[in-house]
Amino acid sequence: MKTNQSVKRLRKKLIPFLILIVSLFVLMIELMPIMVVVTSGFKRDIDIWARGPFYFKPTLESYKQVLSNRDFLLSLKNSLVVGLISTAISIIVGSMASYGLTRYVFKFKEIIAYTFLGFRMIPQISLVIPLYVMFNYLKLRDTLTGIVLAHVSFNIPYVVWLLLPFFAAVPRDYEEAARVDGATENQVFWRIFFPLVSPGLVVASVFAFLMSWNEFLYALILTSVNARTAPVAVNGLLGQYAPKWGQLTAAGTIMLIPVFVITLTLQKYIIKGLISGGIKG
Amino acid sequence: MNSTSLSGSKKVKNFGGASPHWFFLTPALVIVFAILIFPVIYSLYMSTFDWHLFYSAERKFIGLGNFFQLFKDREFLHSLWLQFGFVVIALPIETVIGFFVALLLNRDGKFYAVVRSLLLLPVFILPVISGLTWRLLLQPEYGMVSFFLEKLGFGIKAWLAEPDFAYGMVIVQDVWRMWPFMFMFIYAGLTGLPREIIEAAEIDGASFWTKVFKVILPQLRPTIATAFLLRLVDALRIFSEVYVMTGGGPGNATMLLSLYINKQAFEFFNIGYAASMGVVLLILALFLSFFIVRGNVKFEGERG
Repeated sequence: MKTNQSVKRLRKKLIPFLILIVSLFVLMIELMPIMVVVTSGFKRDIDIWARGPFYFKPTLESYKQVLSNRDFLLSLKNSLVVGLISTAISIIVGSMASYGLTRYVFKFKEIIAYTFLGFRMIPQISLVIPLYVMFNYLKLRDTLTGIVLAHVSFNIPYVVWLLLPFFAAVPRDYEEAARVDGATENQVFWRIFFPLVSPGLVVASVFAFLMSWNEFLYALILTSVNARTAPVAVNGLLGQYAPKWGQLTAAGTIMLIPVFVITLTLQKYIIKGLISGGIKG
Repeated sequence: MNSTSLSGSKKVKNFGGASPHWFFLTPALVIVFAILIFPVIYSLYMSTFDWHLFYSAERKFIGLGNFFQLFKDREFLHSLWLQFGFVVIALPIETVIGFFVALLLNRDGKFYAVVRSLLLLPVFILPVISGLTWRLLLQPEYGMVSFFLEKLGFGIKAWLAEPDFAYGMVIVQDVWRMWPFMFMFIYAGLTGLPREIIEAAEIDGASFWTKVFKVILPQLRPTIATAFLLRLVDALRIFSEVYVMTGGGPGNATMLLSLYINKQAFEFFNIGYAASMGVVLLILALFLSFFIVRGNVKFEGERG
């Protein structure tokens, strides 16, 4: 009896300790590849090739090379512009649609709502083939307009769906008060409702921007020189035989900065967004 | 629980003449028609032609010919098989790891909050960077994973040039990046469970495994099912990370579906044929999405 109890007491003390160790272990494994990328960006190619993974004497050489590479800088600018514009369009158009779906009763409403969800599930490779032919015909290939349109195509359905629960949770009192005061539907939406749901809009914007920032397939197929985005440029740095790992990882690290900042600062919203909208890989 | 807010809205008096809901919905519907619905219809149209990208004038209508061709295309069947294996191996592993880590980290305290948020990082990393990272880690002479493999006595090999190993590593890459997605979903579900149920089981003297299988798992089933289906749809269209990591090779050992479609369309320029494969993939994805919608768990967050 007595030994049984002391075993129990020992377990009570030991288990939290074990959980701590296991958590640290999981975290270490999970972050190790990221560490490798970030540290490799501060190495010279020759050191990566010749001195193995654990040699670390930081230098800014690779960053200097990448940041003086005009093609990469252009692609970085393109990524930023495409991300911001496609996010803005998706938020405006998407939040209007989401508002329409949460605030009005009409025929086919549920079908339309489900259709938006269905759109989110369309594989990009299935769309990129017709888009390539269409863009060729419309002279939109390798233009920023074209790639913005392509990104809007996956961001609008996403934004509509992400916003539904956020919008539905807002009480109608303010809007109704405004209507009583004689505001038009348009004014009610932009002046009263839009500011009320700003937390939801922030989450949706962040996700839309990240998806655009991370997107590769459309950019690979639909752009070549002028409208090339950064993920494609990074892939382009990967030569056939001897990859320039220093530059590649430096460029990769630069691309990861917004991702890290956003993920870590907006963490509690991100989880909410992840759950309500799901995510795209 | 279900779509209360979708059907529970009140009728609002019309102020601007035309029905206001169309005013709000039309811009999205117009754009979506132009760059989603129309391309889908167009790809259906394309899939009925023998159509070469650079000889568009010579395209020939062949009806369902492309689709019959698919069943005879060994490379396509191979891609389908690889895709199937990928889903069947990677997703259960991600779910199980996600589930147990969620149990593990379901504790109060600053430390665990920090661990939870740091674990989310890989999910948001660019797929391209992820593929690049694993390619670097597996470099035979200087990659970190290779370093440890060598220490374990496997010798130095060009790992990504070995078909089975490359395929395995594509899966490892995906598990590394996406189990935290399952974790976050399941963790959110876990914190939503009423504590009394678990505490009641503990008072009854239930063991850890009884608690997990008899109490927690049944309660979390809808959450896990939704997360799993969402992952499934995404796993079906995996492209960037594999493209960067192995390019589908060696040979076609990692030529998953999207990569093969891309190859047919933009390396061989058989866009009619590629479109027909795109249609098959699309139908597969929409079929699975149907179950997500029918499960109706997506609406849970809505309170009318």
